[in-house]
Amino acid sequence: MSSTQNMIQKSMENLQATEEMKQNTLCYLEEQRTKQKRSIPRRKSQVALRYAMAVLCIFLLMGVGGYSIYRRPVSYISIDVNPSIELAINRFDKVVSAKGYNADGQDILQHVPLKNISYMQAIDRLMQDAYYSRFLNKDSQLVFTVISEHSDVMLEQIYTDNRFQRYNVVTYSSDTACMKEAHQYKMSFGKYRAFLELSQYDTNITVEECHGMSISEIQNRIRTCQGHNKKNVMDDNTTNGHKNGHSKSHKHH
Amino acid sequence: MKSTEDVNRVMEAYADMVRRICFVHLKNRHDTEDVFQNVYMKYLLYEGSFESNEHEKAWFVRVTINACTDWLRTLSRRKWVPLDVLAEESVVLDNPSKEVLEAVLKLPEKYRDVIYLFYYEEYSAVQIAKILGKKENTIYTWLSRAKDILREQLGGEWS
Repeated sequence: MSSTQNMIQKSMENLQATEEMKQNTLCYLEEQRTKQKRSIPRRKSQVALRYAMAVLCIFLLMGVGGYSIYRRPVSYISIDVNPSIELAINRFDKVVSAKGYNADGQDILQHVPLKNISYMQAIDRLMQDAYYSRFLNKDSQLVFTVISEHSDVMLEQIYTDNRFQRYNVVTYSSDTACMKEAHQYKMSFGKYRAFLELSQYDTNITVEECHGMSISEIQNRIRTCQGHNKKNVMDDNTTNGHKNGHSKSHKHH
Repeated sequence: MKSTEDVNRVMEAYADMVRRICFVHLKNRHDTEDVFQNVYMKYLLYEGSFESNEHEKAWFVRVTINACTDWLRTLSRRKWVPLDVLAEESVVLDNPSKEVLEAVLKLPEKYRDVIYLFYYEEYSAVQIAKILGKKENTIYTWLSRAKDILREQLGGEWS
């Protein structure tokens, strides 16, 4: 051993950990061990609980978000013969609600479920219903009025569908302002649109009168008025139709 | 978490070494006791295992040096020893030993480590390089410079 090493070792060999220091540290470590043992399972369960809550929240948000998107209607179809029925349709083309706007419509909806199927299926199901088909005779008109950003596509789809070719189908588009007004009068917006058209020719007609009429009767009155006032009607088509602002006639005959 | 038996064993095996490394760095009993506890706390929570006793001892050296460095850095503790800092140790030190220890404590921190590990723990420069994560040549340089400083301070007795 060199003298340098000897000197260094001698200078430090008496620097020792005291028994007090060792015992204090051992006591401290035992305390910490007890605390850790208590806190680790709690911490683990807290972490697990937080993860579970986060996952649950994500699923709930996705579920609530998805459900609210599914439930939100973006298009409406009013189907009027005599029964007046309105369908609310979501962005997936599924019917999210169906409401009858007269006694016949309400009766049919009692036994024909239309929700959560595509609107084309819903319409077909209505046509297939024995009670509903009683209203579909050769003189009656089956009037579809659509409110949608894609009303042209929807109307074309309905009008060209083979299943409905044998009926006397007439299609129109409308807007939500017309629908709001119609609902104030407890009338389907399809029938209300027809009332507005008739009121262009017959200023004495009232909503109450139209309530008691079938859509075919209103349409016939319109045609009659058009025949009597052919010249005036032509003028009205170019002025009043736009003035009214509620209906856009996309009549398919 | 290490068992009570393991903690008791390493307490007996390395307590003096940990205490000396702490003192060489911190130069006072109060800080030494705090860091001493921290080192053993790190051991208690250490999840790894050791290949050998030498591996375990080297782990204690490294962890103690790091703990001291962190302690000094975070709390901005004093790095240079006041003249009376050894008063609390004077009971156990004779005059020549006190003089050598004072000279060692006055060395820059990195030189203190290599002097302690080389002369007291009898590690080779290669082992010290490995423990401190430095190049071997760096350790030789530090040892040489530290010896020069000590020679200057301690004079003829220092060979």
